[in-house]
Amino acid sequence: MALLEVENLSIDLGEFHLRDINLTVEKGDYLTVIGPTGAGKSILLEAIAGFYPLRSGRITLNSRDVTNLPPEKRGISIVYQDFVLFPHLSVFDNIAFGLRKVERDKEKVKGEVEHIAEELHISHLLHRKPGTLSGGEQQRVAIARALVVRPKVLLMDEPFSALDEKTREKLRKLVKSVIAEYNTTVIHVTHDFEDVFALATRVAVMKDGRLVQVGTPDEVFSRPKVDFVAGFVGTNVLKGEVIGKDGSLTLISVGGVVLKTADEAERKAVLSLRPENVLLARDPGLCSAQNVIKIRVERIERRGHVLWVHLDGKIKLKAVITPNAAEILGVKEGEELYAMFKASALKVIA
Amino acid sequence: MEGLRFRNLSVLFALIFTLFLFTAVATLFFVPRPSEILKALKSEEMIYSLKLSLITASLSTLLVILIGIPIGYALSRFSFPGKSAVKSILDLPMAFPELVLGLALLLLFGNTAFGKLLSDFGIKVVFTKLGIVVAQFFTAFPYAVRVIHTTFEEISPRYELVARSLGYTEFETFRKVTLPMAKGGLLASTIITFARSMGAFGAVLILAGGSYMNTEILPVTLYLNISYGNIGMAITSGIVLVVVSFLAILLFEKLEDEEHGAVRG
Repeated sequence: MALLEVENLSIDLGEFHLRDINLTVEKGDYLTVIGPTGAGKSILLEAIAGFYPLRSGRITLNSRDVTNLPPEKRGISIVYQDFVLFPHLSVFDNIAFGLRKVERDKEKVKGEVEHIAEELHISHLLHRKPGTLSGGEQQRVAIARALVVRPKVLLMDEPFSALDEKTREKLRKLVKSVIAEYNTTVIHVTHDFEDVFALATRVAVMKDGRLVQVGTPDEVFSRPKVDFVAGFVGTNVLKGEVIGKDGSLTLISVGGVVLKTADEAERKAVLSLRPENVLLARDPGLCSAQNVIKIRVERIERRGHVLWVHLDGKIKLKAVITPNAAEILGVKEGEELYAMFKASALKVIA
Repeated sequence: MEGLRFRNLSVLFALIFTLFLFTAVATLFFVPRPSEILKALKSEEMIYSLKLSLITASLSTLLVILIGIPIGYALSRFSFPGKSAVKSILDLPMAFPELVLGLALLLLFGNTAFGKLLSDFGIKVVFTKLGIVVAQFFTAFPYAVRVIHTTFEEISPRYELVARSLGYTEFETFRKVTLPMAKGGLLASTIITFARSMGAFGAVLILAGGSYMNTEILPVTLYLNISYGNIGMAITSGIVLVVVSFLAILLFEKLEDEEHGAVRG
C-alpha cells in the first residue's frame, strides 16, 4: 500500500489550477517535481499539505482519507524557499515549535532539538534569532524544524533556490544524510536539475496544472515520454567509466572519448552537461575549457530565440547557441566543428 | 545647476516650515506665565478633566484594539461575501467630519428603537460618560483598523501555514505566531488610537455633551474655558493634551526599540 495517494485531484485558485492529478508516493521515496513556472508545482505541494480546499479528488495518507482533514492533523511538514522562520523565536524555539505540541517532556524536546541541530551542523546557532543567520543557516533551521517532528511526508518548495551554488551543494549533501537518518519520504519542488540528480529517486514533470510524466530520473531524462518533457529536461546525459585522475580532475571515458570533470566519481558514472554550457568553435586553439571534442553537426533546430545544435561523433551532444553566433561561425549541417566545455560544467549525477 | 537650485529650495522649505511649526508649539508653552499654568493645573476642574480623559481614552483604546484585531485579521486573511462593502463602510467615519459623526451617533442612540432598547437595559449613552467612550471609539476605530489590517497584510500567510503543518490549530497559530509577529504594528495602532481618543472633540461634544465637571474631557475643558475667556485654563489643558500625547509616543518608541530585533527578525 502506498504511503501517499493523490487521486484525480483538481483545484481552482483563480489564475492557478490543477487538473486530474494522480500520484502515488511510496514510503522512503524522494520525489522531485519539476516543470516550468506556473505549472502548479507549489499548489500541488500546498494541496497535499491541506492548505486549499479541493475542487474534486481524494488524498489518502497511510490508507486514511485525509482529504477533509485540516493541515494540523495530517503530519506533513513543509519547507519554503524563503525559510519562513518565526522571527520572534530563537533558533531553538523555532525547531522545538512543532515538537512542543506533541511532547510535554522538556528534556525530551531538548534532546531531540539538539540531536537534529547536530545533524544539520547548527548546534552553535541555537540561542540566536533567525534574522541574524545567513540564508544557508536559516534553511538548515527550517529543515530541522520540519524534520524534528518526524513527519509522514516532508514537502520542500524550491528549498535551495535562494542560496548560492556552493551553499546549495553543501545543503544537498546534508539533506541527503539527514533524510536517510530520519527515514523520511520527501516531495521536493525544484527548477534545478542538480537537485534531481543528487537527491531524487523519482521525478514528476508538470505542465499547465497537469502531471505529464512520473518515473525514475533515468526514465524521465533518457526516455522522456512526450516532446514537452524532452524539451524541458533537454540536458545532455552521458554514461562512462572512470579511468583515472589528472590532478584534481577525474578522467572518464565516454564512447572512447576521455572527458574531464571536476567532480569525484568511481567506476561507472552518469554525467550531465547543460546544452548552454557547450561552446562551438571552428578551431580548438588555446582555451580554458578542459574538454575539446571534434564532432559533426547533425541537425540544427530553431526553438524560440535560440538554436539547438545536435552534434554527433563518438558521443552525442546538444548545444544551445544564438542565431547570431551561428551566423558568425557559419554553422552548417554535416560540418565538423569542435565542441568545448569546462570540467566544472560536466557534472557527475550518479 | 537646475537640480542643485531645486535641492536647496526644497531643503529651505523644510527648514522654514519646521521652524514655523516649532514656534507654534513653543508659543503654547511660553505665552502664559508659569504661575498661571501651575494654578490651572492644580484646579479641581483640570484634575477632573485629565482623569476622565485618561480613563475614557484608555477604555476606548482597549475596546478599539480588542475589536480591531479580529476585524483587521479577517479583512487581511479571509475572503467573504460583502468584504469590499465592509471595508468601505469601516472607512466611512474617516471621511465624516467629527461633528457629523457625533450627530449620527446621537441620532442612533437617542432617536431609534436600538437606542431606546439600550436605554431600557440601563445603558445610557447620550450625554453620559459612556457617550464619551462611544464617541472616542468611533472616531479612532477606522484608523486603528487600517493600521492593524496593514500589519497583518505584511505578515506572509506562509508563517501560519508552516505553524498549521506543525500541528497548531488556526487559533493556536494566531496566538503563537501571528499575534507575536504583529506586536509592533499593534503597538503602533494602540498609540495612534490612544492619541486620537485623547484628542477627540467634535463627536464627544455632540454625543456626550460637554458639560462642566461631568462629561468634561481635556479638549472640552479647552473649549469651555476659551469661551469664558479663561485663557490660562484653556492653554493649560492644551499643554496637558500635548504632553500626554508626547509621552504616549515616547513610550511607543521605547517599546518599539525593545522589540526591534524580534519584530524585524
